[in-house]
Amino acid sequence: MQGMAVDPPRPMPTFSFTLENGAAFRTAPAPGSPMVLFFGYTHCPDVCPTTLADWKRVAQRLGDRAERVRFVFVSVDPDRDTPAIAARYAQQFDARFVGVSGTPETTFQMMTAFGVAASKDSSTTGSGYLVSHSSQVFLVDPLGRLVALYPFNSGWEALAADLESLL
Amino acid sequence: MTSVVRVARSRRTWPMRHCALIVGVLCVATACATGDPDTTADREALSALLRVGEAWARPADSGATGGVYLTIRNADSVGVDLVGITTPFAVSAEVHESMNHEGMAHMMARPALAVPAQDSVVMRPGGLHVMLLELTRALAPGDSVPLTLVFSNGLMLPTTATVRVP
Repeated sequence: MQGMAVDPPRPMPTFSFTLENGAAFRTAPAPGSPMVLFFGYTHCPDVCPTTLADWKRVAQRLGDRAERVRFVFVSVDPDRDTPAIAARYAQQFDARFVGVSGTPETTFQMMTAFGVAASKDSSTTGSGYLVSHSSQVFLVDPLGRLVALYPFNSGWEALAADLESLL
Repeated sequence: MTSVVRVARSRRTWPMRHCALIVGVLCVATACATGDPDTTADREALSALLRVGEAWARPADSGATGGVYLTIRNADSVGVDLVGITTPFAVSAEVHESMNHEGMAHMMARPALAVPAQDSVVMRPGGLHVMLLELTRALAPGDSVPLTLVFSNGLMLPTTATVRVP
């Protein structure tokens, strides 16, 4: 692993989100394929779009194999991010990316499982608030185990290489 | 605005604050009497020393939050602060800085961003950026976003950010 390896790999629970069309989406990898996760919010102007832009580079590197990878953006700001907004946000970067926003309870449970923190900042912007949040990317292997973390701005190449090794 | 620009020029010439104030007051009086013939020259002189470039913006939907990155070069012998940004494409615009600490991403507003003398400030992903709040129109690749940067010396510099996928 070129990312920060989670050793031993940690089996992760799956969570169910309702998509814009009413369908359920479970945060589990497709059979035989890995899954990539990031927790952010759509009002984030810098760290979140930088991360998803990196994912796009990863997907481009993988080529057709990217079809087998689930790239999942999970909103930590369900108060503002509807399922439709979260989905649209992720798909802006790549039509294959999934964006989900769930109930506060589901969001909290999933964040807890992944060790993700988020908090509204006391300093507000002109039209809302900012959210401090964990900024690493998570890699889940085809068995549903968390196997690596990728700190923000550590380079998309490491994630691409590790995905290639899992595909 | 005229007096602000003139005071700023005076600060470069006479660093003592009270002198600058006196000169500024005199300039206002002079401007009233003479029709302010030097205003354009003042602005051009300051503009020549302060340049904004390499501005680009991320694609974003109307109503969403946008991000702009740019570079400010200050060739002047005194520092200046970026104190505001306006654009007709968003309800408001603010300068922010992302910081990562122990795996957490934080953002801090930078209402007065220092551009040191004879130095540059480079905005880039993961650091300094301009946050466009409540975009009034969608930003698609190839679009141009008009921006006006307001500096502490009174100078207002227009620039254009090109929308592109990074």
